[in-house]
Amino acid sequence: MNNLWNMLWVELRKTLRSKVPQLTILGSLFLPFGIGFLLFIARNPEISRKMGLITAKADLMRVTATDWPSYLTLSAQMVAMAGFFFFCLITSWVFGREFIDGTLKDILAVPVPRVTIILAKFAVSAIWSSMFTLVMYVFILIIGGIFNLPQGSLRVIWQGSVLIVVTAIMTILVVFPFALLASIGRGYLLPMGAAIITLILANVAVIAGWGDYFPWAVPGMYTQAMLPSGDSPGVASYWVVILTGLAGIIGTYYWWKYADQSR
Amino acid sequence: MNTVIETENLGKRYGDVVAVENLSLRVAEGEIYAFLGLNGAGKTTTIRMLLGMIKPTTGTAHVLNTRVSLGSQKPWASVGYLVEAPHCYPELTVEENLEVARRLHPATPPGAVGDIIEQLRLSPYAHRRAGNLSQGNLQRLGVAKALLHNPKLLLLDEPANGMDPAGIVEMRELLLKLTREQGVTVFMSSHILAEVARLAQRIGIIHNGRLLQELDIDELECNRRRRLLIRTRDIQTAQSILLEAGHDIEVLQNRIIAVKNGYSFEHSDDIASLLVQGGAPPTELILEEEDLEQYFLRLIGVNGGQNE
Repeated sequence: MNNLWNMLWVELRKTLRSKVPQLTILGSLFLPFGIGFLLFIARNPEISRKMGLITAKADLMRVTATDWPSYLTLSAQMVAMAGFFFFCLITSWVFGREFIDGTLKDILAVPVPRVTIILAKFAVSAIWSSMFTLVMYVFILIIGGIFNLPQGSLRVIWQGSVLIVVTAIMTILVVFPFALLASIGRGYLLPMGAAIITLILANVAVIAGWGDYFPWAVPGMYTQAMLPSGDSPGVASYWVVILTGLAGIIGTYYWWKYADQSR
Repeated sequence: MNTVIETENLGKRYGDVVAVENLSLRVAEGEIYAFLGLNGAGKTTTIRMLLGMIKPTTGTAHVLNTRVSLGSQKPWASVGYLVEAPHCYPELTVEENLEVARRLHPATPPGAVGDIIEQLRLSPYAHRRAGNLSQGNLQRLGVAKALLHNPKLLLLDEPANGMDPAGIVEMRELLLKLTREQGVTVFMSSHILAEVARLAQRIGIIHNGRLLQELDIDELECNRRRRLLIRTRDIQTAQSILLEAGHDIEVLQNRIIAVKNGYSFEHSDDIASLLVQGGAPPTELILEEEDLEQYFLRLIGVNGGQNE
C-alpha cells in the first residue's frame, strides 16, 4: 500500500508540474462555453443571420438544447465524444511521456512492483479525466443557469448529473486500452491516431446495429437514456465497457512487464 | 571473492541482427569492471539485459545472485544504474527528480536526497528545473539517481559523458572512493579509454556483439605492444646488424626501424652500442608503448591500432 501511495505521489507530482493538465482544463472550459455560445446565437436570430456557417450549428442547438434535459443530454454527448479525445490525450500523455522523455528505463529496474507503477498511472489518468469532467460540469450548470433553460427541476439536474458522471466513467474505462497503444507506439501518435479511427468506427457500429457490443459506442448510446425517445444500452454493454477497461489495464501491465524495453 | 555479475552464453538477436552473442563474463565483488566497445558493439544491450529490460534470446544472467528476468523486483533495491544518456522529468526540479527516484526505492530515507545533492555538488541547481540543466549537470543528476539508495552494484553506461575535465576527475575519485570505502562493485562502459585505464581493475572488450577478451589491468600491461623505434642515417647497415643479432624488426614509413622484441625495449642501450659498433649509429631512439586505446583498436582490428 505504501508503494501505491508513493507511486501516486510521483505520478501526481509529474502531472501537476506539467503544462498539459492546464491545457486540458482549458479544453474542458471550451466545451461548455462552445455550447453556451451556440445557445446564445440560437436565441438571437438577428445575430444568427449574420454568422453564416455557425448559424446551422446554432439552429441545431435550438432544436436539441431547448430545455435542461436536452441540454444535459447534449453535454453528456460532449463528454462521450470530445471528452473521449481529451481522456485519450491524458492517458497517452501519462504513459507515452515516459517513452518520449526517455525516463522509462528509470522506472523499470526498481524494487517497486511494476503493477503498482501501472495502477498509479491509471489512477492518475482517471483522476485527471474526472477533474476535466468536474470543471466542465460546473460550467455546464452555470451556463444552463445563465440561459435560464426551462424544466430545470432538482430531479432533472440530478438525472442529468448522473448521466454525465456515468458517461464520464464509461468513457474513462474505454480509454484505458489507449495506454497500451501509447506503450506499443512509444508516444502519443499511435493512440491519438487510433482515437480518431475509433470514433469513426463507433459511428459505423451504431449505424450497423452493433453499437451495444462496440465498447467505444456504448457511452454515446448511453447519453440518449434521459431523452423521452431514448433507449439505454443493455446490461451486456456495461460489461463490455468494464471488460474493455480491464483489458486495457492488463494488456498495458503485460506489455510493460514482458516487452523488450530498449529506450 | 563473491561474483556479483555472472552471465552464461548471454545473447540477443533482433531478427537476423546479432546484437550480443555468447557473452560469458564474471564481475567480482568490489571491483571496477570496464566494458569497452565501439558504438553498436552490444554494450548497452548487455547492460539492459543485466537490468531485466531486454529478454535475452539465449543464455542467462545473474546479478547479486539473483537470476535476472523481465519485470522482476529483485535485486534492484541494491542496484543503481545509468543507461545511455541521463534522462529526467524536465518540468521537475533536480530535487523533485531525486525525490521521485527515492520513492522508487522505498527503503531510502528522505534525507538521502539532500545528502546526494551535496555529494554530487548539485546544491546550486537543487531548485532548478531539470530541463534547464547543462549536459554535465544532467549527467551528475543521472549519477545522483544511481547512487541515491546506496547500491551495492553500479551499472554505469558512459558515466563521465558530457562532463568537463574537472567533472571527469571528480567522477573517477567518487567511483574509487565507493569501491574502496564501501565495497561497491562498478560495471561501467566508457569511450574515454585513458579514464578506464586509470580506474578499472578488469576490462572486457566487446566487438560485434562478442566478448573478444577479458583481462586484468596487470595482464594489459603484459599484453601491450612495446617496441623500440630507431632512426639512423644508414638504414641498410642498421637493418643488417639488427637482423644478424636476431632481432625482430620492421621498417616503417619515414625510414624508421621498429624493433619489436621485448628485449630491445628493456635494453635499448645495448641496441645503441650494437649499432655504434657496427658503423650505423642511431640518431634517435624512441621507446613506444601502446596505450589502452591503441591496444583496443588493434584488438578489434581497426587501423588506429596498427601504429604505422
